Amino acid sequence: MTDVMTDRSLQRLRVAIVDDEELARSVAREFLSKMADVEVVAECANGFEAVKAVSDLSPDLLLLDVQMPKLDGFEVLELVGRDVAVVFVTAYDQYALRAFEVHAVDYLLKPFSAERLAAALGRARERLDRGERGAARDVEQAQRLAAAARPRSHAGRILVRDGPRVHVLPAEKIDYVQAQDDYVSFRCEGKEYLKEQTLAQVEASLDPAKFVRIHRSFVINVDRLARVELDERDNHIAILADGRRLPVSRTGHARLISLL
Amino acid sequence: MHPILSRGERLAAYLAVWLVIGILLATVLTGQGLEWPEALALLLPLCLVYSFVCLSAWYVCRATPLRTSGLSRVLATSGLAALVSGALWLGLARAWIAALSELSVFATRADVFLDQAPFLFASGVLLFLLALAVHHALIAFETVTEAERRQLELEVLAREAELRALRAQVDPHFLYNSLNSISALTKSDPDGARRMCILLGEFLRETLRVSGRARIPLSEELALAERFLGIEQVRFGARLRIEQHVDAAASLCRVPPLVLQPLVENAITHGIAGLLEGGVIHLDITRLNGRLAVALENPRDVDSPAPTGRGVGLDSVRRRLTTMFGSTATMRTEIETGRFRVELDLPCSVDD
Repeated sequence: MTDVMTDRSLQRLRVAIVDDEELARSVAREFLSKMADVEVVAECANGFEAVKAVSDLSPDLLLLDVQMPKLDGFEVLELVGRDVAVVFVTAYDQYALRAFEVHAVDYLLKPFSAERLAAALGRARERLDRGERGAARDVEQAQRLAAAARPRSHAGRILVRDGPRVHVLPAEKIDYVQAQDDYVSFRCEGKEYLKEQTLAQVEASLDPAKFVRIHRSFVINVDRLARVELDERDNHIAILADGRRLPVSRTGHARLISLL
Repeated sequence: MHPILSRGERLAAYLAVWLVIGILLATVLTGQGLEWPEALALLLPLCLVYSFVCLSAWYVCRATPLRTSGLSRVLATSGLAALVSGALWLGLARAWIAALSELSVFATRADVFLDQAPFLFASGVLLFLLALAVHHALIAFETVTEAERRQLELEVLAREAELRALRAQVDPHFLYNSLNSISALTKSDPDGARRMCILLGEFLRETLRVSGRARIPLSEELALAERFLGIEQVRFGARLRIEQHVDAAASLCRVPPLVLQPLVENAITHGIAGLLEGGVIHLDITRLNGRLAVALENPRDVDSPAPTGRGVGLDSVRRRLTTMFGSTATMRTEIETGRFRVELDLPCSVDD
């Protein structure tokens, strides 16, 4: 097993091309077709297709455009960054620093040459040889950086990957977020969505004027708060609009008061 | 800045001229029975001092510029200044003669000098007048040079502004993406690649050409926007669709350059490009009762964040309209769910 894994340079590099422009995909496809030991396993016209391709085909490498409809390149990286190496391909040089922070293998500026693409693939092979499959060495780092690097101010939405599918949760539709071991669960329109993240990261990525941490394990959307009550042991309890009761800690109560 | 004092080489030339004047005056005095050393000893130091007195002619020139002051005023001021200077020159001469006599450096005969007083006075007045003329000439010369320099500077600035306008107008990423499309077409569709090169060349040339003009017919602005759309069509393919209705009469209206193309660019960058399936851009241009109405509407992604970066292109359009039409032109934008609309309303002038 390890013998097979150690020398990737002998293996075919399985690449997925992600770009919303057909012509941009075709130039990458043309260059890759002339390279030995490279196989284009998928061409994706948007981020959702890219996430699905990573789940279904587990390519080694994504050639990933940044500006795309619905999900941009950094959001795709946030969702699949642990499973696949990423080379960004874009006309915009201003994302280079962010790409570096989220451990992208390389950053290609359009228009690019076949040689430049080959060099990027070489770097990807090197990294895969070292056994670093994903773009990020640890997921938390990737998620934190992806969240921090997100251009949308105060994440107007939360992206949750569910295998090949991506759920887009608009922040205003989230009722509350609950910490559950290594995961957080988002309560949104009557459903629960699990995401591998810490509650602190979620709290940092949401609008502090709308979301407040009322407890070690809970961040709530203040728009959903109906009232705060005291229980028989003088603990504060938050009652949400749907009647759900959530515990409020002493510091959480102070935060709630200062926000309201 | 004093035209002579401020430049070393001019001051040197000026003093050299005064040396010659001193020698000439000395020659005149030797003709009156003075010895050469005596005449030179008297006149050279005198000329040196008087040369600096004559530099003050600059202030007289400045006080009465030839272009704005009346002739009588110039003559009166100049004459008075010359008389005062001549008197000063004579006074200096007398003092210097007295000093020389006191020192008995030469076998000086003060009376011979004093016989020359009228001559000395006249030469002092004339020399000052001469200095005035020289200063006037120098000032005129500097004014011309300054004007030329300014003209040159303005031309450079205008050129720079033109390039800046182009850079502001043509998004470099539009170029990068277009070049990438050409790179893709080179192999798969060489004819298409060539068409794209030509379109791009025409678009850039036209942008540069119209951005230097104050007003262009709307038809030219439309042509520019259509070239832009042609290039973007290659990139976006079926995702980009246009429906336009343009009054034939509207195309004659004169508009500031680059009021339409940025709207189209905005519709693509912030609208079509954010949609998986793309969409239709509606462009309606009508001319009614001497006014030109432009309405452009594009679909946009419902989930896309509120437009923060939007506006550089739209702002430039607004500025151009205000510059040309003041408050008689308006620009209105409207964002609804999944839709962006911009409307321009401006006077339509057909004449030049």
